[in-house]
Amino acid sequence: MTDTTTIVDRIALGLSGALFVLGIVVMGVLELLAGKPYSPAPLTNDAGDVIATPLIDPTLRTGIVIAALLVLAVWGAYKLVTPMATDAADRAEMAAD
Amino acid sequence: MATNTANPLATNFEVELDGPLTSYWLALLRVITGWWFFHAGVTKLIEDGLAYSYGPMYMQEMTGTALGPIPVWMGNNLAWLIAPGVPLFETLIGLALMAGLLTRLASIGGVIFMTLFWIGNAGFGHGLVNSDLMGLLLFMTVLVLGAGRYYGLDAIVEQTKLVKRHPKLRYILG
Repeated sequence: MTDTTTIVDRIALGLSGALFVLGIVVMGVLELLAGKPYSPAPLTNDAGDVIATPLIDPTLRTGIVIAALLVLAVWGAYKLVTPMATDAADRAEMAAD
Repeated sequence: MATNTANPLATNFEVELDGPLTSYWLALLRVITGWWFFHAGVTKLIEDGLAYSYGPMYMQEMTGTALGPIPVWMGNNLAWLIAPGVPLFETLIGLALMAGLLTRLASIGGVIFMTLFWIGNAGFGHGLVNSDLMGLLLFMTVLVLGAGRYYGLDAIVEQTKLVKRHPKLRYILG
């Protein structure tokens, strides 16, 4: 299989992957280490009082994951407007006048 | 990909997209995900037709999310589009996935829907990875792997002269 990934592809996939892992796994580990509530939702008692709040605002974590999706979306749009690898190969094979 | 002759399971369980088990599973994943959205959409159509008023209301209540004021603005100003759009697009996305036609385009729609549900429902009591995010990941998987090529109509459409002349159409097919 021919590797047709470019530096742009690698940056986009690397950045997106890093953001996914940061927002979900790394910050999830920090939540665990910080103790209750262990998840990005406040913990309440039977009376409805908040007894533990998350270490990291879920808005930040979801925002990082959405940023990861946006990186993929922008990369997809970039791929749409740039010539495909096969297009370039086709052009290279064209005979000169 | 090199064949691992030392592993007797390699022929069936290797992640090769033309392998029989991979094709079968991708097609099934696509159809079940499609049915999920089709059912969600068509039941709204049966109950409310193209006047699904809960759609705009849901977005108006999406305050304090990572998308800032965008969902609330949409709920206030695009109700004319959201009320018919939610049941209609859910149904069409589901049909497209089940048929395997315009699979990637439909999956992009599914990702947008699931992103809004994920942050709108904000059901994070058991962690950030909940059923809404898993649904989002299902659509991403169908999109990335071009699951419409496996027992789907996109496999046929991609062989047409039109797609061969304009190979970038594969970005929305597959």
